[in-house]
Amino acid sequence: MAAWGRSRLLEEAGKCAYCGFCEAVCPTLPYGRHRGYGPRGRVLLTAHLARGGKASPEVLSSIYTCLTCAACTLKCPAGIDIPALVRAARSLLVAVHEKTII
Amino acid sequence: MDVKLILSLLAENVERTGYPVPVDVERIYSWAKPLNLPRGGRAVLYTGALYQLAPYINSLVRHLESLEGRRAGGLALRLAKTLGKIIDLGKVVAKADPGEIKAVEEVLRSIARLLSAAGVEYGYLYEDDMYSGVILYDMGLDEAFARHAKMVAETLEKSGASLIITVDPHTTHVLRSVFPEYVDGFGLEVKNYLEILSENIDSLKPRRGEAGYRVVIHDPCFYARHEGIVEEPRQLLRFAGLEVEEPPRSGKMTYCCGGPVEAVSPSLSRRIAETRLRELQGVGGRIVTMCPICYVNLRRVGGKVEDIALHLSRRLL
Repeated sequence: MAAWGRSRLLEEAGKCAYCGFCEAVCPTLPYGRHRGYGPRGRVLLTAHLARGGKASPEVLSSIYTCLTCAACTLKCPAGIDIPALVRAARSLLVAVHEKTII
Repeated sequence: MDVKLILSLLAENVERTGYPVPVDVERIYSWAKPLNLPRGGRAVLYTGALYQLAPYINSLVRHLESLEGRRAGGLALRLAKTLGKIIDLGKVVAKADPGEIKAVEEVLRSIARLLSAAGVEYGYLYEDDMYSGVILYDMGLDEAFARHAKMVAETLEKSGASLIITVDPHTTHVLRSVFPEYVDGFGLEVKNYLEILSENIDSLKPRRGEAGYRVVIHDPCFYARHEGIVEEPRQLLRFAGLEVEEPPRSGKMTYCCGGPVEAVSPSLSRRIAETRLRELQGVGGRIVTMCPICYVNLRRVGGKVEDIALHLSRRLL
């Protein structure tokens, strides 16, 4: 789908109850440096970016190491489409930081 | 990790050349030459060039991996030093493994022959067999993706086909589920070749008298979770007389090979691939992949893997 705008992004990310069921199936989390390498962290950080938060190198690592494999979405009780959320965050980063990101 | 550099590298290449890595367009369709496939038709085979590009992408990833391991300077600096200038990836991808190139071309010929054996009438696009632009979509480069997708859609529509036959999970997903959102009026029917073979299974005949063997199946995320292709490969492998084993994580709950982050973080990609390879090896049996990205990524960590099309063609042609 065409990438979501800020408000849709916040709405979707806002469904997260931080239960962490998604973390058990994420391939990147066990090898990452922090929870940003897992779906729960990525949802939290997409909301941070949608609110105009800073795109630090670690935030970028979190958002760009997602495989969009969608294992997490099958475990999410809130039914968040996490790959779509991550792509929306990437699209937002490109739009906002066009000169610095690419 | 230098996200900016990798993104600009891939995006600039797609915008300039149509492909994420520089490759001669003849290399995209030369696999089809021995087959004499007709041009165009009601149904056309669209590879999206991903199988053909995989060995070149792998060569780039191996290069990035070697740079990632060195300590001095940022990745950008190291890459600039080794390449001269950022866009000049030619000498890196020129080191692509010739064995791998041969293997992916054989996969495509096997797919084409299997479709013919199943009685499917179709043509090919040759130099119009364009890259789908999927990397632009994955990386959130929406405008660049929309522009590229429009070009691809126009080319496919111009071919006069009403059915597009795809051969890999990423191209299948992007064409069937993403193009309709990005390209106004995109109405072509998109089917994957495994779905088509499964529908026409009665026209295929397993070779008689040959002993089957055990295979362990690695589901690609984009078939299993995004496009609902889980049963078709199993049905076809069993029909071909093979014994299908499931790894601990399979079907809809399959475990990613790590491929999608291969360029952004080769070391992370490698660790995930190693984990998956151990899992697959633990089952016993020959490892079957169905995606060119899974194929090169599992191979990079030492996996002996083979595409489903080669297994099927050996038993069904």
